[in-house]
Amino acid sequence: MSIVQVLFYFMGLITLASALTVAISKNLVRSIFMFFITLFALAVLYVLALADFVAVTQIVIYVGGILVLILFAFMLSGKEALAAAQLQSNRFISLSNLPALLLALLFLVVMINVIFKADVSNLQWIKEANGVKNVIGSNESMINNIGINLMTRYLLPFEAISVLLMVALVGAAHLSRREGTRI
Amino acid sequence: MSKALPYQDIQTIYFAIAAVVLPFAAFVINFLFLGKSKLSGWVSTLAILVSSVLAAIIFTRVWNVQQIHVKQIWFRIGDSYLYTGILLNNLSVLMLGLVSVIALPVHIYSTAYMKDDAGYSRYFQYLSFFCFSMLALVVMDNLILLYAFWELVGFSSYLLIGFWFDRANAVQANKKAFIINRIGDIGLLTAIIILFNQYQTFDIERLFKEGGLIASSTIKNGLWISADIQTPVIWQYIACIGIFLGVAAKSAQFPLHTWLPDAMEGPTSVSALIHAATMVAAGVFLLGRVYPLFNPAELTTLAVIGCFTAFMAATIALTQNDLKRILAYSTISQLGYMVMAMGIGAYATSLFHLVTHAFFKCLLFLSAGIVIHQIKHIKEDNNLDIDPQDIANMGGLRKKLPLTFIATLIGGLALIGLPLTSGYLSKEGILITTYEWAQGKGDMMLLVPLFAFFTSCLTAFYVARMLLKVFFGDLNLQFLNPEIKIHIGDGGWRYKAPLVFLALCSLFPFFSFNPFLHEETWLLYGFSAYNSKSVFDIMHIAIPVLVNGASLLIIYYAYMIYMKRSTIVLPQSGLLYRLSFNEWYIDRFYNRVVVKFVLVLSDMAFWFDRKVIDGFVNLLEKIGVFTAGIASWFDRYIVDGILHLSAVIVQAIGGFARRFQNGKVQYYLFSMLLAVIVVFILKILIWN
Amino acid sequence: MITLADFMIVSAVLFCTGMFIIVSKKNSIQILIGVELMLNAAILNLVAFGKYDRINNSGQMFALFAIVLAAATTAVALAIILNVYKQYKTIDPDKIKQLKD
Repeated sequence: MSIVQVLFYFMGLITLASALTVAISKNLVRSIFMFFITLFALAVLYVLALADFVAVTQIVIYVGGILVLILFAFMLSGKEALAAAQLQSNRFISLSNLPALLLALLFLVVMINVIFKADVSNLQWIKEANGVKNVIGSNESMINNIGINLMTRYLLPFEAISVLLMVALVGAAHLSRREGTRI
Repeated sequence: MSKALPYQDIQTIYFAIAAVVLPFAAFVINFLFLGKSKLSGWVSTLAILVSSVLAAIIFTRVWNVQQIHVKQIWFRIGDSYLYTGILLNNLSVLMLGLVSVIALPVHIYSTAYMKDDAGYSRYFQYLSFFCFSMLALVVMDNLILLYAFWELVGFSSYLLIGFWFDRANAVQANKKAFIINRIGDIGLLTAIIILFNQYQTFDIERLFKEGGLIASSTIKNGLWISADIQTPVIWQYIACIGIFLGVAAKSAQFPLHTWLPDAMEGPTSVSALIHAATMVAAGVFLLGRVYPLFNPAELTTLAVIGCFTAFMAATIALTQNDLKRILAYSTISQLGYMVMAMGIGAYATSLFHLVTHAFFKCLLFLSAGIVIHQIKHIKEDNNLDIDPQDIANMGGLRKKLPLTFIATLIGGLALIGLPLTSGYLSKEGILITTYEWAQGKGDMMLLVPLFAFFTSCLTAFYVARMLLKVFFGDLNLQFLNPEIKIHIGDGGWRYKAPLVFLALCSLFPFFSFNPFLHEETWLLYGFSAYNSKSVFDIMHIAIPVLVNGASLLIIYYAYMIYMKRSTIVLPQSGLLYRLSFNEWYIDRFYNRVVVKFVLVLSDMAFWFDRKVIDGFVNLLEKIGVFTAGIASWFDRYIVDGILHLSAVIVQAIGGFARRFQNGKVQYYLFSMLLAVIVVFILKILIWN
Repeated sequence: MITLADFMIVSAVLFCTGMFIIVSKKNSIQILIGVELMLNAAILNLVAFGKYDRINNSGQMFALFAIVLAAATTAVALAIILNVYKQYKTIDPDKIKQLKD
């Protein structure tokens, strides 16, 4: 077992453990921070999947954007929300959570079943990719290639998503404006 | 009968119908138009007058001339055609004439007798209705209508007996008469049904004429054989017994005679017309109609019963103190003679006696009516507390009521059967015939003429007693109450005329020009067919002489007892006296045994009704309630339960479905995901 | 060597965890976190498969797009949550049943 594999399993474990802690935790603030850990661990997993740029983006946008946004929203929603959120008696295994738990487990069983049945390593297109060496090597950087692709091959989606992002941000700003400042 | 009749016959038929219908018309007019008017008496009298004139005309045309029978189809049941019609033969025209002629003086008499009564109009309605029923009864040609009018006669008799319905005795009496007549009616109806079954017809002429259906049927080997039907002979006996019951009830024969003395509760004029002269004769008339039905053995029985009735009634009459009761028992006695005469085959003599008896008994009753009326006057004038019908209170009335006395004397002598009266002719005829009949029958049957003879002597005694007590000697009332004032008399012409008329009719010339020989009576030749033998021998002289001699002796004896009081006074406490005075205890026997038995039976029936039938009904009711309870329970818990269950199910489904619409986003999501996973699982399962 | 199946299993567990959070939590922000977890599970798969497209980098590209979209949605969602809180004084989705003003 190579050190990469060990690292993968370790980070996978951290990811899942933190995610589960998010799920289990009664404390909203704690769960938010555990989510923070999850996102970092995922970034590591992206690196292990040979996607450095995505990992960086993940950290920048998620940790720097979304998480901060969530924290802001949480703070902005006031003391009552905080208190209410802290007060919730949300035990992991309880009668009210049981259906959700069962559902999740069921999904897990089905998906794992599907994963093993699908035998993803031997898919046709993956074999072809292996055949024509269309595989990212562990020591090459894809940032250049991504930049070129983004500006050539994926230009239209890139522009569309930028507009979308713009609209979303404007919308979010509009929604979160104060009542009194209605135009 | 569709063949053309001569004009005169048709006219005769119309006369007959008119004679029958006129009293009915009088009844209708009285009933509808003349509420309380005194006119009603004259309407009825006029009707009966015309009827009697018509009857007389019919009599002259039919009597010994021809028999007229018209009929037409009345209705049809299956293949049986029922005819209705009028049969005029010697018997019916005789009865037609007799009834109307007797009814006429009674009507006239009644207009005076009833003039102060509150129910004057009602009385004449009833009387007219009775006359109609009786006249219709005698001319009808079939048994069904005969029966119908027989019932109507009984019914009108019931009405007239209970005419004074505010008197308890009268109500009791008419009830008794009605019930006893009902027994007879049932008998007659049974007989009619049996006859119809046997001969398939109700037609009297076809059944009973000479060589008719009955004459041609025979009894052989225990079978009663008619033209096309054979039935066990027992039916013939039952038919005869039924007829006899009818006769016994109407004509007051033992054992159904007890109603007649009680029927004297009605007005005396009614007693005269109905219970002496006409209605009671209906039984004998019926015997005359159905005479061929009886075979010799049955006729003998009839004779014995008639003889016994005559004897019994005569003994009872000996000791009665009620004037009308004496006459009532003498009527029963005379009717017994008639039935006996029928029984011995003296058909013509019997009818002859019927006619003569009608006249003199009517006469006697009307006279008694006058006597009672006058005693009642005395009673009311002097405020006495007496029974106006009790002969013990009377006496010496011959001076006060001379015409009544003479009339009663004639009637009484006729009743005894002394020469020069009509009664002599008919009664001697019966006695002689009885003797001749008994001669060939053995010693036992000699008892019948012996008893008849003895009865005749008894008759002489009680008639003499009655006459002596009422008309001779001194008025007992005055003797007991010396201060009373007496203003009485025979009354107006409406009293006198009927008496004179009837008294004349009770004398011999009306029937025979030879006052001593009944064989020369014209009436007898009308029924020659049944006049068995008319051999003239020494007995025809010996018997009348013997009987009359005995009667005279008895009268003299009675005279000695009651007038001179010289001879021994009769014991008033002996067994025989009590037997006679209490009317042989027959009534008491009926009350004690029959009535009590019926009451016990009714009690048992009542008990049965209450306990068993009501119990059964109650049980049914309980079962019904119980079933209803079950049904209710079933309804409530099963039917309603099903409804409620369905409602609950629908509610549960609704509630269940409602939960999906609870507005919880996470729940929707959960459901959605569940659906997705289910689809996935299914896909995997199918994939495998 | 890290196989694709390894990535997919991690992804699947992550996905299920996110799903569990979404369905069971009573707090809108936590639900939002659940959504992000699920998104990340998807992105992980994209990235893992993106290894086999060196020329076009389609997997990584769409992972990037997805991340950006996630940022946008999160921003909008948080704005909505804030408004809901203003309206209802709660962020429990169970209690937000009325759509009227």
